[in-house]
Amino acid sequence: MVAFSNGYLVDNLTEALKIRSEFEVTPYAGGTDLMVEAKDDAVYLFLNKIPELRRIYSDDEYIRIGAACTYTEIFENTLTPQILKDSIDYLAAPAIRNMGTAGGNICNASPKADTALIFYVADAKLRICSASGERILPIEDFYVGRGKTVLQRDELLVEILVPKFGLEHYYYKKVGARQALAISRVAFAGLFSTENGIITRFAMAFGSVADTILRFRDLEALFVGKTMTEAKSLRDDLIAKYDQAIVPIRGRVSADYRKSVCMNLLEDFLNQNGI
Amino acid sequence: MNDLIHFTLNGEKVTSDRSANERLLDVLREDFKLTGVKCGCKEGECGACSVLLDGVLANSCMVAMGSIEGSEVVTIEGYSETKRFQALSDAYAQTSAVQCGFCIPGMVLACEALLAKNPNPTDAEIRKGISGNLCRCTGYNAIVEAVKIAAREGKGLW
Repeated sequence: MVAFSNGYLVDNLTEALKIRSEFEVTPYAGGTDLMVEAKDDAVYLFLNKIPELRRIYSDDEYIRIGAACTYTEIFENTLTPQILKDSIDYLAAPAIRNMGTAGGNICNASPKADTALIFYVADAKLRICSASGERILPIEDFYVGRGKTVLQRDELLVEILVPKFGLEHYYYKKVGARQALAISRVAFAGLFSTENGIITRFAMAFGSVADTILRFRDLEALFVGKTMTEAKSLRDDLIAKYDQAIVPIRGRVSADYRKSVCMNLLEDFLNQNGI
Repeated sequence: MNDLIHFTLNGEKVTSDRSANERLLDVLREDFKLTGVKCGCKEGECGACSVLLDGVLANSCMVAMGSIEGSEVVTIEGYSETKRFQALSDAYAQTSAVQCGFCIPGMVLACEALLAKNPNPTDAEIRKGISGNLCRCTGYNAIVEAVKIAAREGKGLW
């Protein structure tokens, strides 16, 4: 461990958790969000040289992505599902992809976070550790509001657990004002699978719309287990329900604009899947 | 407490007594007088402060000093000693890819990072490679052309 003025650099997770429990520190993974502010009084716990946070591996169920893996590392890893690669391909620009991390994208808790949207729709779970133990929770339960999470002051996000299966048939669109370095105006990710004509997976997540990424599991459930014919007959009803459920807030763009784009993307997603 | 920060800068081992939360950009310009590293926006939008950090392109405005302990930093000043730089420099000259020059140190390092990974990039790949580096003078076409020339005439360097 190296203790600097205004920072601690460690090379293993155990020590990082110990410092996290003993001192008031801001976890620093890639710095690409934190350094925009670059507060003079910030005391950072540098996580970028901890091997346990920088590996990507898989078990029977999940691809496990270390929280301090950079976007570039995730993009270049053969285990990474294509939907996640697509979101990284349109994220910022090379220099930021080389430094920014998936864990930072999640913990910064912006509803515009490009990779968090994918983790949402994919039913990813977060492995969170402290010196006294660990917990695993669905990413949806991690967020309390814009910039607010349930991460306790002695905890660190260690791994993102992305389900290995069911992500093959996806739809992803990021609507921004430019191609590179765009902060999304609306982002949409959808998953759709059928087995023997029955819908087995139907999931949609909306980013940059409200204080957190939006997902409506009760509405998704209306389509799961249905035949394509049944889904077609329910289409208008589903669209009407989403129209009610999505209540965008005004940001850089108007709430009306966001709403229109959300609904257009939802319809396009249904069209592409023959509903 | 107050340990020095050790890193390698353009091939030389150096130390810094700056705070761990300070920007690499400021340390490079103010303490090491490496003013080829430009400050354009301080939020990762313009790429003028690009350096190579452990071999990859990074915006030095978004790097806190404490994160680079033991790392290797190359700025345009160090890179300009290389044959690869010469190939890029000649190519930029051929296409008149430089006007005011403010973006060029970062742009050249972005081109280096691209060619190091992909020695024969397509137009689209070049545009993607330099997509984080803003140029307000030439409008990119001359730069894209220069990268293609450098890739061709500098064959074997990357």
